[in-house]
Amino acid sequence: MTNTIHKPKRRGARSRRALLAMTVCGSLLGALTAHAANPIRIGLLLPKSGTYAVQGAQGHQGAMIALQDFGGKINGRPIKIVWYDENGPQTTQQNMHKLIEQDHVVGVTGGISSGDILAVMPIAERSKTPLIATGPNATEITGAKCNHYTFRVDLPNYTTTRTIYPSLAKNGKNWYFISASYAWGIDGYKQMKGLLDAHGGKVVGADETPLGTSDFSSYILKVVSKNPDALFLGIGGSDLTNFLKQFHQMGLTGKIPVSSLVANDTDLWAAGKDAATGVYPKIWNYTGDQNTEKSKQFAKAFEDKYGKPPESEAWQDYFGMSALLTAIKQTGSTDPGKLISFLESHKFEGYKQRPIYFRKWDHQLIQPTLVAEVRKTIPDQYNYFEIDSVQPAAGKPLESIYPNKSESNCHMDSN
Amino acid sequence: MDAMLLTSQLVNGLVLGFLFVLIAVGLSIIFGMLGLVNFAHGAFFALGAYFAWTLRPYVGDVGVLFLAPVCVFAVGVVAERLLLRPLYDKEPLLSLLLTFGLALFIEEAIRTIWGSIGHPYDAPDFLSGFVHYGPVFVTQYRLAVLGITVLLLIGIWLLLEKTRFGRIIRAGSRDGEMVNMLGVNLKRVFTLVFGLGTALAGIAGVLAAPLWSVVPSISEQAIMPAFVVVTIGGLGSLRGAIVSGLLVGISVALAIQFWPAASSAVMYLLMVAILLVRPRGLFGETWERFE
Repeated sequence: MTNTIHKPKRRGARSRRALLAMTVCGSLLGALTAHAANPIRIGLLLPKSGTYAVQGAQGHQGAMIALQDFGGKINGRPIKIVWYDENGPQTTQQNMHKLIEQDHVVGVTGGISSGDILAVMPIAERSKTPLIATGPNATEITGAKCNHYTFRVDLPNYTTTRTIYPSLAKNGKNWYFISASYAWGIDGYKQMKGLLDAHGGKVVGADETPLGTSDFSSYILKVVSKNPDALFLGIGGSDLTNFLKQFHQMGLTGKIPVSSLVANDTDLWAAGKDAATGVYPKIWNYTGDQNTEKSKQFAKAFEDKYGKPPESEAWQDYFGMSALLTAIKQTGSTDPGKLISFLESHKFEGYKQRPIYFRKWDHQLIQPTLVAEVRKTIPDQYNYFEIDSVQPAAGKPLESIYPNKSESNCHMDSN
Repeated sequence: MDAMLLTSQLVNGLVLGFLFVLIAVGLSIIFGMLGLVNFAHGAFFALGAYFAWTLRPYVGDVGVLFLAPVCVFAVGVVAERLLLRPLYDKEPLLSLLLTFGLALFIEEAIRTIWGSIGHPYDAPDFLSGFVHYGPVFVTQYRLAVLGITVLLLIGIWLLLEKTRFGRIIRAGSRDGEMVNMLGVNLKRVFTLVFGLGTALAGIAGVLAAPLWSVVPSISEQAIMPAFVVVTIGGLGSLRGAIVSGLLVGISVALAIQFWPAASSAVMYLLMVAILLVRPRGLFGETWERFE
């Protein structure tokens, strides 16, 4: 009786020992092969589904072009991009943890939604993982909520409003506002209203629309009843597409000048040639004289690979990924401290007409912006924008369109 | 001046309401006749828009209005035969979960076939103007949507109330066993009803394509108002869907006039208020099968 109880025990012990030996051998073997081609993993957080899935796909493609530029490896080590979904703060937080704990990434790039990025920024800081936020616009990211491990490529509302104000102000002083009723839209409204007030303009109406509004006809009736000189929108994605289509059907295209905090090419492509209208701030455009050799090469490589031109979202992720890869290559290291001090001090040349750089005290990418106007006649299904000007004007410092230290709430030094 | 604007908002809300009725009516019929909550309704709506986008260059605006719903009908019939039929005598929860899965599947299929980027879709040229009469300002296209919706509703009413087929459906929804015993092939009737409901979603999709962005997530934009309208009106009631659709349209328009930030919440508030007073919705009836 005792024997029968004893036996399985022994067998258990033996198999456990065998398992241990196997594990040791296995991990040794693993370590050896890993050393030969141990990939450097980089996390990518971009939407795979939901309202911003279009931008997510473009961003991923842009990042892949950056990887292609580096030949897929740095100092003999292959680079592996691990792409997880960015679809709501909770999911994105879980995916950020997964990237860091399971995939052992050396850094993370991406991000479309400000809410999602604000949710993962503390994780980047706690785990000391460099995070290059490529697409969100909320001021806090490089303002009140800034931290030592987060860099932001896209423009804050402060900058987009200052880029576009002079162009829209030419139409008159009575403005109507329609803004998305969450942080980004509300902040954008405040910024633009501030500029308008300071120049003696007047807000004749201001409405907030819930994110995901499909029917704007009632809003448009309100706009018409006030007969404004200009209409400033703080809506994006399919909301902007819906708005432009319905605005066009009511015969208003070209009658009331329109602008918005952002305009993704894809949103205008979806609205169609007749409905597309307006003058917008833009971070990058695939056509125009402002493009450097590097920009043109990127646009060509993208079009060759994916069969359509890149939109600004693709460029942002291309640049974000390039910046991180450059840092890894130049420092010859994946140490977060070294990567961060490199990113804080490096001037990235060739991407735009002037060298661009992450500002040391708030990690905002300081770069010129574009005033882009929808063409009168659109030559093909993608080429919607004509570049009116590059801001700030030549001779003015780049930082003149970004919040200065006294206007900003970013105090990283205390960290 | 403000009274003028208010009138124009009321009319606009009414027109918007007809769009909601159109989106909801197929869902209502499927529930009313089959007792099935079809979560994939929004996905069939999206399919309507995408079929229309694909077929339009070949058959024109009027052509797609007929052809696209026929294609959606075909998809609906296949889905019913292969997936839903085996579940009718099982727990209702199973078919509910199945339609939910179907919704996700169709949306992903759309993304795979047509891509995630939105497609431009204008209103037809002959409907691109607008009507401006006193304070009332409506686009011709929206008026056309209203007209088509009214015609469809009359057609559905005639079908259900005045034809033999309609009597079979109504009888079958209450006592399927008896109808079967009378020698009617009820399974085939169910298939046709499901197909009809999805085809109506398809028509709504075709008509909404010039108004909304043709992107894969268009299905999500349709499904929520559809459920709210059907719930307020009373599950399965055609009359309820019409009244509540118009009610929701007007409420949304007035909310935008007076309190825009709450405009997407107002239909849910309306639903809560009505369900508190009338738990079965406005015209909801007692159903032996679900008691």
